[in-house]
Amino acid sequence: MSDTESLWAGWMQAANGGDGQAYARFLHAVTPILRGIVRARGATLSEAAREDIVQEVLLAIHAKRHTWSEDRPIRPWLFAIARHKVIDAFRRLGHEAAQTLGDEAEMVVDAGHEAALAAREAAEEVEAMLGQLDPEAAEIVRALKLREESPSGVAEKLSISEGTLRVRLHRAMKKLEGLGRRELR
Amino acid sequence: MNTEELIARMAGAPAPAPLNRGRMAAQFLAAVLVPVALFLLLAGTRPGLIAALENPVVALKTLLPALTFVLSFMALMRLTRPEAEARAPLRLLALPALTALGLLGLAVATLPPAGWIAEYTPFFIVECAGSILVLSIAPALVATRIFARGASPAPGLSAALAGLASASGAATGYSLFCAQDNPAFFVFWYGLAIATVTCAAALFTHRRFAW
Repeated sequence: MSDTESLWAGWMQAANGGDGQAYARFLHAVTPILRGIVRARGATLSEAAREDIVQEVLLAIHAKRHTWSEDRPIRPWLFAIARHKVIDAFRRLGHEAAQTLGDEAEMVVDAGHEAALAAREAAEEVEAMLGQLDPEAAEIVRALKLREESPSGVAEKLSISEGTLRVRLHRAMKKLEGLGRRELR
Repeated sequence: MNTEELIARMAGAPAPAPLNRGRMAAQFLAAVLVPVALFLLLAGTRPGLIAALENPVVALKTLLPALTFVLSFMALMRLTRPEAEARAPLRLLALPALTALGLLGLAVATLPPAGWIAEYTPFFIVECAGSILVLSIAPALVATRIFARGASPAPGLSAALAGLASASGAATGYSLFCAQDNPAFFVFWYGLAIATVTCAAALFTHRRFAW
């Protein structure tokens, strides 16, 4: 199983278990690839028209997400949905159907695969730096800066006031800044 | 709405229950079996059924729709996945179709012309084709409701297969009651009833399978 495959499958498994953030990560990861597929087929379309098609594909993925089985690879499932909806959209627009979409999807997914690897390496670096903070400070950074949770919710979870939370976040960020500078030297 | 907002909205929606293909299969089988069982309970099986089935031609009257049912049902299940290959199951369905045509050809070749349509009486025709059509209604409706939840790569084909599986399942059950053993009769009228349900399902329910 490729890295992209396991990454996407992991996110979708978590999403099917009710993890909305994992689902958002999955959708964010596949959106540039869908844009690439649509751009490859509809170079003459306006950017807005292409984005409409991307949104149609995303809506189809959302509407049919229950048809993916966790014991099966996710990429063929994803690209089959993309192919179906893109052909549909181009037919409606009067373009020739995207018969060779499979090949293009594979080419674009290679780019997506590299992007996913780079993103994972970056995430590992961030985790390594967070590991040098005390656990509570690291959790504050993760919650507010990475998972974009609401400050009130995080403060409540940690049983501290929002003011204290802001101060601790500020200190943690300062420390991370220092760690980053040291790494660069 | 921009794409970021759309993703945020979709991520906030509750996760649907995954497609339970085992339950789908069980529900459809029940929808085929219950009407057939009720019919056989009320009308009974033909006299001397077991002895009659020893005749290969009579056995084929049950086996051919049964094989069609199994193959179309498997294809229908398979086509709930968007990544499924749509054309492969159709090649297998040629087996019962060609065997049925062979049986019909054999009957035409071996019987005198008067014997070809000897059993084509209005009563037998209405009883045979009418029973298969009526017994197909419930499974076809259930199949449409259940299998449209999938994501068929060929929605029109899935709609037709839902009709084919329903009608061939109904014909399999009906064949245990039917005493018309002339292939010139049963291949034609069973075939016509099954084809009618298949076309009607494709025509009227393909939009339900579209996504």
